[in-house]
Order: sequence, then C-alpha cells, then structure tokens
Amino acid sequence: MRITELFDRGEFVVTAEVGPPKGCHIENVLEEAKTYLSGITAVNVTDNQSSVMRLGSLATCKALKDEGLTPIFQITCRDRNRIALQSDLLSAAMFGIENVLLLTGDHTKLGDHPQAKPVFDLDSVSLIHTAKLLEEGVDLGGNKLVGEPPKFAKGAVVSPCSDSVDAQLAKMERKVAEGADYFQTQAVYEPEKFIKFMEKAKQFGKPVQLGIVIPKSAGMAKYMNDNVAGIHVPQEMLDELRADKEKTKAGITGIEIAARIIKECRPYCQGVHIMAMGWESKVPSLLAQAGIC
Amino acid sequence: MEDYTKYRLKGSDELATYLSGTDNLFVIACNKCFKEFATVEEPDLAEFEKLAADQGKTITGSTRVDFLCNKTQTQRKLCDEIPEGTEAIFVVSCGLGVQTIADLALEVGADGTSIPVYAAADSLNYTGHHGMALTEKRCDACAQCYLNITGGICPIVDCSKSLVNGQCGGAKNGKCEVDPNKDCAWEKIYRRLEKQGRLEEFLNQPVQLRDYSKTNFKFVNDYVKSIREKRLDGYYGGVHPLERKEATEHLALQTFPEPEVVAIQLSMHAGAPANPVVAVGDHVNVGQKIGESAGFISSPVHASVSGTVIAIEDRGHATRGTCPAVVIQSDGKNTLDPSVQPHKSLDELTPDEIIDIVREAGIVGMGGAGFPTSVKLKPAKPVDTILLNGCECEPLLTADHRVMLEYADDVIFGLRAIVKTVGAEKGLIVIEDNKADAIELMKEKTAAYENLDVVVAKTKYPQGAEKMLIKRVMKRQVPSGGLPADVGCVVSNISTTKAISDAIQKGMPLIERVVTVTGERLKNPGNFIVRIGTNTKDLIDYCGGVVGKPNYAAGETKGSSDAADAGCEITYKAGGPMMGFVLSDLNVPIMKGSNGIIAVDTDHSAEQPCIKCGRCMDVCPMELSPLYFAKYADEENWQGMKDQHVMDCVECRSCEYICSSKIPLVTKIKAGKTAVRGMK
Amino acid sequence: MLITELKSKETILSLTEGKKVFIINCHGCREVYFPLEEAAALQEEMIAAGQVTGIVTTDYICNRENLEVRLNGHREEIDAADLVLVFSCGVGVQTVAAFLDGKTVCAACDTSRLPGFQGVTPLEYDCGQCGECYLNLTGGICPITACSKSLVNGQCGGAKNGKCEVDPNMDCGWERIYRRLEKIGRLDAMKCPTQIRNFATDKEV
Repeated sequence: MRITELFDRGEFVVTAEVGPPKGCHIENVLEEAKTYLSGITAVNVTDNQSSVMRLGSLATCKALKDEGLTPIFQITCRDRNRIALQSDLLSAAMFGIENVLLLTGDHTKLGDHPQAKPVFDLDSVSLIHTAKLLEEGVDLGGNKLVGEPPKFAKGAVVSPCSDSVDAQLAKMERKVAEGADYFQTQAVYEPEKFIKFMEKAKQFGKPVQLGIVIPKSAGMAKYMNDNVAGIHVPQEMLDELRADKEKTKAGITGIEIAARIIKECRPYCQGVHIMAMGWESKVPSLLAQAGIC
Repeated sequence: MEDYTKYRLKGSDELATYLSGTDNLFVIACNKCFKEFATVEEPDLAEFEKLAADQGKTITGSTRVDFLCNKTQTQRKLCDEIPEGTEAIFVVSCGLGVQTIADLALEVGADGTSIPVYAAADSLNYTGHHGMALTEKRCDACAQCYLNITGGICPIVDCSKSLVNGQCGGAKNGKCEVDPNKDCAWEKIYRRLEKQGRLEEFLNQPVQLRDYSKTNFKFVNDYVKSIREKRLDGYYGGVHPLERKEATEHLALQTFPEPEVVAIQLSMHAGAPANPVVAVGDHVNVGQKIGESAGFISSPVHASVSGTVIAIEDRGHATRGTCPAVVIQSDGKNTLDPSVQPHKSLDELTPDEIIDIVREAGIVGMGGAGFPTSVKLKPAKPVDTILLNGCECEPLLTADHRVMLEYADDVIFGLRAIVKTVGAEKGLIVIEDNKADAIELMKEKTAAYENLDVVVAKTKYPQGAEKMLIKRVMKRQVPSGGLPADVGCVVSNISTTKAISDAIQKGMPLIERVVTVTGERLKNPGNFIVRIGTNTKDLIDYCGGVVGKPNYAAGETKGSSDAADAGCEITYKAGGPMMGFVLSDLNVPIMKGSNGIIAVDTDHSAEQPCIKCGRCMDVCPMELSPLYFAKYADEENWQGMKDQHVMDCVECRSCEYICSSKIPLVTKIKAGKTAVRGMK
Repeated sequence: MLITELKSKETILSLTEGKKVFIINCHGCREVYFPLEEAAALQEEMIAAGQVTGIVTTDYICNRENLEVRLNGHREEIDAADLVLVFSCGVGVQTVAAFLDGKTVCAACDTSRLPGFQGVTPLEYDCGQCGECYLNLTGGICPITACSKSLVNGQCGGAKNGKCEVDPNMDCGWERIYRRLEKIGRLDAMKCPTQIRNFATDKEV
C-alpha cells in the first residue's frame, strides 16, 4: 500500500521511524516494531542515519514487510551513485516496497567513517526526478525499463523551523516540481513557526507530516539546539524538562510536550511522523495522549 | 608552449536562454592565463558578440581584461567602463572571473540594485592541477600522497579509477580500459618498481584505504583568507622573502679598522657629481670638504681619513661602472679638520640654518637612492608628517636596525631636527614587527615627545619604499610621478637621520656609515661602522672571506658579470638581495648609500618564456602589470612600456622575485625607462 | 594551485630509516604555503644523524629543464644516496621521480588543493572545473566548491545557523546563493529545471 492513497482519502497519516542495528541481527527491531508500531500507518527505515554504518535500509524494510508492517524505504545520495540509487529503487519495487523517502543525506564526515568518499552524484531533487523517470519506465540514462514500470509514493523532507525558511520553501517547491508526493518534516518544537510555514507550504498542495522527536532530557534538547540543523527547542520547554528530573527521565514530560505540539499543529498538517530514537515503546502512549489513536 | 585553454563558450542554445530575457549587454572577456602571451587568437569575445547581435541584442560595450580574477586590479580597470543603461553583464571567462565580476557587480549599484551577471562560458574540466611552471605532470591534491609506494607515478591521476592497491585487471596490452591510448598506470608503476628493485616492497605494502576526510577545509580556507589579507595588508601586493636577518641582527656594531687608502667617489648621490676642490699631493683632514656640490641636486663629499691625496681618477663604482674619485692615502693620525665644530642647539637653529648644515655635511639619502637630503627638507608643498623609515624590509640587512638600537638618541635628535625644519606636526618612526627590540626602545625614547610616535608595521616587502610606507601608515596615495610632499609627507632613512644628528651635534659631515656584511656564502658576517671610501674587498676579507667558487678567478677581483658562467657559486651584491646591485668587481668603494655587502648563492636559472601566470601582477605594489614590460622590452615597444606606466615602477624587484619564468624584469624595466626618458 | 603540508614525522622517518638521503626542497610557488620551518627542523635532525648526502633548496622543480640545471652540481651526492626525499607538491615529486627514474624518490609532503586554480593565486574564489558552469543559476557563487556536498539543486538542509554541517566555520554555500539571488532579484533561478551533473565531460582538453 502506498501511503499516498491514505493522504488522498484525507486520513491523518501516522508514521514512525526505526534505525537498523549495527550488525546482522534484526530480531529486536522487528519485535519492537511489531509491539509498539503495528498500530500506525507505516514505519520509516533510516539509511545509515547520521552517516553511521548499519544494516541496510532495504533489507530491514523487507524484513518488516514480511512481518506485516508497511515500511518506508529511506534512501540517501551519500553512499551510492546514480546507478546504485536506481538499482536499489528497482529492488525495493520488486519486493513490493513502494513507499520511499528520498534524501540527500548527511555528509560522511559526520559519521563513524569520516574517511569515506562522499558520493552525492545526485541530490534529493535529482533523486526525486530519477524516481519519477523510473515510474515513467525510463532510467536516468534514457534507457527503457523492461516490463511494467514501478510505482512509488515519493516522500521528501523539509525543515519548517529552519533559520532560513524561505530557502527551505524554495527547495520544497523544486521537490514538488520534480514529483514529490508528500513531505515529512524535521522535528518541530515551535508550533507557531510550523503553522506559519504551513500557511506558505499549502500552495504546493502536497500532504505534510509533522516531525516529532520526543525530548528525552534537557541535555538532549540542548544538544539538538547546538548541533542539529533546523531544530530549536524554546527555553520554556527546556525549563519544563529541567523542572522535574524524575518525571522527565520516565518520559512523561517529553510525551506531554510532544502531545501538546501534535495537538496544536494537527489542524494544519496531514499527518505526523515520530522519530522515537530508541523510545519506540513510548509511541503508543504519545499517540493516545495526542488523541490520535 | 602548450596552451592550457581555461574555458569554452557555452553552446548557442544555452546562451540563447540567458539572452532571451535581457538586453543592453556589457561583455567582459578574460584574456586567459597560462598560455603563450598575447600571440594566440582568442575569438570567444567576438563569437559571443556575434551571437548576441544575431539575437537582436544591443551591446553597450565590451572589454578584455588580463587576470579577471584579480579583484583589486579588475575593480580599478572596470570602474568607469560600464556604460549607463547596461542591464546585464556577460562574462567570458573561467568560473573565477565570473565569480569576481558577480561580486563586484553587487558592489556597484549606487541605487541599491545590481546588474545581473551571466557566465557565457564553461570552465573546462581537466582533472588534476599543474604546478606553476607548465607541466604535463599532474597532482590531484588528495592530501595523502601515495607517490612513495608507486615509484613516483601518481595512481590517483594516472589510473582512471584512481586505484591505490594495484591494477584493476581491465588493461589490455598495457592500455587502460577507459582509453586505449592511455597507458595503464599500474602497469607503469609495476615496471618502474621492478626497475628499481622494489617489487618486494610493493608486495609487502599494507592495504591502502583512501581517506577522503584528509582535505582540511578549515586549514585551506583559513590559509587562503590569511594569504589574501597578508597580500592586501596596508597596500596592494608585495612579497615575503625569507628574512635571513638572524646572522647579524644581534651583532653589535664594530668599528671597521681604519683603511690605509680610501677612494671617495665624487658621485654618491642623485644629480651632478661633486667637483673636486683638492689636488693630488694635498694633505686633507677628517671631515674636510674635498668635493664641492655642483648644482641644486648635488652634494659635497668629505675626506673620511686624514692623509694625502694620491690620485683623482676613475675608480670602480658599485652602480655606475667607473666614476671619478678622490683617492687618499691615510696617515693613520685621524686628524680632525678644524671645520668640524658642534653647531648651536636645536632650539636656537633656524630651519634654513639646519638645511645649510645638512647640505654642507654632504648628507644624502642613505637607503640607496642618494637624493640630497637638504632638498628634501625644503619641500614645495606643506608637510604635516615626517615618516622615519625603520622598516629595513630588505632581507639580510640589519644596518638600520643596529643604528636604531645603538644610536637611538641620535636618531630621535635627527628626527626632531627634520620635524622642525619642515614644520611638520608630527614625526612617526615606522618599524616592521620583526624588530621587537627596536620598537620597544624607540617607544621608550619617543615617550618624552608629544609629536613623536612609533608605528609598528606588519613585515612585508617593499614596505620601505616611500610610496608603500606612506600608503601603509598614512593611507595616502602618492600620485603617479609625484613626490611624498604631494601628500604632505617626507620620508627619511634611519642612517640619514642619524647623520643629520652628527652634523648638527658634532659638526661631523657624512664620512662613515653602518654596513651589514653578510650572506650565506660569507664566513663571518657582521655590522660595521665603515669609513666612506673603504674598499669592498677589504670588508669581505675582514669577514673571513667566502665559501665556494666566486664569480671571478683566484687572485683576481674582477670576473664575468654573467653569474651563470663557469659554475660559479657566489654572487656579490652591493645592497640587499632584492634591490642590491650585482658586483662583478669587488674593488669598489663603500659609498654613502652602501647599506650592505652580501655574498649569496648564485642563481643559475635561465630565462624562460612568460607563461602568463599573473603572479607578477599580483605582487606589484604599484599595481602595474610587469608581464607587459617583459613583452614590450623584447619588442622594443617603448610606447607600450609608457602606456603601461613603466615610469611608476619603483624597481623593488618583487615581480622578478616571484616570476615563474625567471625573467629579469627589472633589467627590462630599466631599459624601458631609459628609452621612455629618451622619447621626451 | 597546490599547497603542501608535511607528512607525519613517523611516516617520513619510516621511509628514511637506516638510509642515506638526498633532500630536495622546492620553494617554487613563492608566497604559497610550504611548511618551511617544520621541514628545516626535520632536516636538521637527519643531518645530525649523518644520513644526508646533500640538500638542494631550489624552486620550480616541476619544470624539468629547470630541475635538471638545479640538480647538475649534485650528481655525486644523489648517487651516494639510497633515497631522494622531496619536499614539494605532488607535481614536483613526480617530475623528480621521472627524471631520476632509477632512483627511489619519496614525497615528504601531502598536497592539498588551494582555491584559485589558475591565474593569479591564491584567490578567495574557487572553481571546481566541472565543465558545465552553474554560476548563472547561483548568482555567481560556485555550488561545486562552496557546498561541501557540491549539490546543484539547493541546500541539503544540514546547515545550522547558516553554517555547513561539515564545518561550522564554513558558510552554507546554498544559504549564500539563496541570499545572493534574493539580493539581486533573481530568486526565479531557484525554479530552474533540475540539474544533473555530467561527470563525463572532457577529462583533458
């Protein structure tokens, strides 16, 4: 099932992400996903997230699919040239994995193999373009595909709370022009910025899922403020996280904050995407508190 | 010479898309670099103009520029070029030129708008980079050089796949699978290692993994920033040759033993030679005038020893071949001439009296040019600032540095005298930051005087050139063909200033000076107080002589001026390594402007054709284009020399120092100047 | 344009251990980075150890004719050495290696690229020589060299406070491009067709 069908039906689409392990054993990931994420629409699988080498995204997607979940195959331009990117998209289609999220990817220097050659033969825009070409039965080299072409729900990302939101919108527009079907956003902590962003993004007519990272601690929030692009946790949230350390540690504060953000933004977006970062077990209670499931 | 084409006009279809939305174009083309200089046709500009005309576009103008990427010079050249009504600028150049113009266009719009800039060409993509000399050898700058394991053949550039652990197996008959005309790099590497008997070493090599994080952006970016700042600091251009002052900068001044014979040149200054006022056989005393000033721009000369005039004849001259000199045999008594008497105090002396004292003492600029100081002290325009030049930017030389340290009070006295004479508001002692001790001492000494101060200047050659010094310190631009007084300044040399003090306080004319005798070929370098007229060879001998084969035969002092001759290893120069004069004969007397005698390694390099690298233009502090001087001098195109402002050249030799092709630019410039002077 | 950094001392010593060494220093690209002092200190040590048969400090060894002239007087010293150690950029080392092709020639430096590849250098501008100039779409700022990832269709989203995710001291190239386009009123350039790089352009011309 392509999640675009749900958007088309006007459903509020909930997705969450899992990160493959560093190793070839997938059991724990599958178990967690089945336990906590089976109630949601689809599960994103990250592609060597933060340039840290892990089990492959496509293989993990296939394993999730075999367990009856709907995976979203994240694919970045960092590690593959245009040949490998197209080849992996076709592989995904062969497995019946039709939900993809197409990204540029972090630079190799940020990860655990800083010596690696960064590829960036294509970027997010040209990758969306390429995926669309494949759907039309042609590859980037202009060669015809054999048989029925694949069909994807082509996802892309955008940072609504970025320091330069105008540039973000311009790039979003290019992604839309090349065929992006839906967007997932970077984590949002400032609903008013998100709402403002959505007022402008509305014109593109593409569904947008609000990105949520459950804040685990004031330290984590501060780290994101200092280091993660497009994220800013406001001072009052930091104070809130600091106020009752035990409550925060138990995840209660974080879920409260996240649920509040979802409620506030819900009227303006078409879904929510939760990046739980190890707190997959808390997803059900977050959704319950946010009044979604 | 190989032509390294840098860019190619974009296709007409692509250009048409950029042209379609615009009109009233100005076109700028770069004359390209790394190519045979101005002999190869460059049709790109004309082609583009035709294409634009075919599209019915109006061209408001066009221009060709050398080294478009040189922002400073390009900005100056284009400042009035772009006509009113221009709506778009098209640039025919590589990416550097386009980026430069795009930045400059941002800055032009007085009304806040800027003219859009379009690239009309694509930079060509050839992998790898060559050195400054044109060469087919390439380096991909991988920041992890592999040449040590490949026998000096680059696997990154020469192998199509940039493999680092041996060949891929795709080679057929030793040729690359990508290009059958190209040798397989790993085949070449294997053969070379085999030839060197290093196959074992190769087989035992640990597996190589490329490290793409090696290129340190921060290092490179910071470096580029710093080098541009360095180059543009204070004034445009300039260079940073190795200073090599450590051999003598800490050596206290020694009085050089009194010579038995001195030869006092009658021409140690700019302008007319002095007329001798003594005859052979006359007895003379120390400080006695022996040659009288022969005009407004001239200077008297004085005996530096007491004794008998034994000849008035032509003697070797460090910069002018041979010139008449008064030769004195010393009587060893050092009898002071009765005329040598202290003058009134500085407060009592009038400016005109000071000027007379300075003129009579035979004081001329002791930095080398020898312009009569008394003339300088009577500027035609009002002067507010005296700049005392304590830069000593010439490598190796430390004479002024030692004078500042050991005669600080005299230097201050001299400066006060100049300030008073000229009626300036203030006197600034400018010292380069490589002389911390002198800066500290001078700061201490000037503290007592409200109108005197010390300015510390970041070391850069040729800071000591008047025009550069004024620009650096006063941010004033001496006009082309002008003098410091045109911008309210007088610049004085340290030793000259000390000589003014001696003339006033002791009544002693200019009969001695400090000379640095040094260089990597000299055995025992030092700083000496030397009587004017002392033979240069005596100084060299006193310093223990030299190491290596000099440019003249044993037992002789004269030899070929062609340094490359006969495998000679030593070159002597009067002055510093940059502006000094090559001495083919050591039998030349020390003169008022002799700040140094150096014995350095001979440069055996031979002149090559200009490769148009543009570095001379990047370093010329006068913002000239020295490459044209080389070209025009060879063509004897003196009008061209003049048009390129050859007369503004200060002969600092920065261009020659940096020249990739070893072109003796200053020699050509001097020829050009002589010819241009003759044109008038 | 190339600049050089000294290889680590351990690396250099592992090359020269127990060997007689002839040293060539190239100070050719004057006013361009060469680790003068570090190289001199290291060579002092090697001289003290009695390993050095000779040293030539010269310039433009990338010019073969020039190199030949410079090395002429040092033939015996070179013959006496097991290894020729070159302190220069990679071009210089290759020229020496080709000239002395029977001799083990080693590089003591690593070479990095310096912006401003041609003409007057080093410059504040850089050109990636991609062969398909993008400057018309970017307001005259090169996306190949100004962006860590050489992206040609806009920013990656990794910038924080306008700084690149790879190096917080480096401005995000696409942020700069966007601001420039905004300033010159050409934001429409952001709506250009998707750019796909062609890595097959003329390798050599």
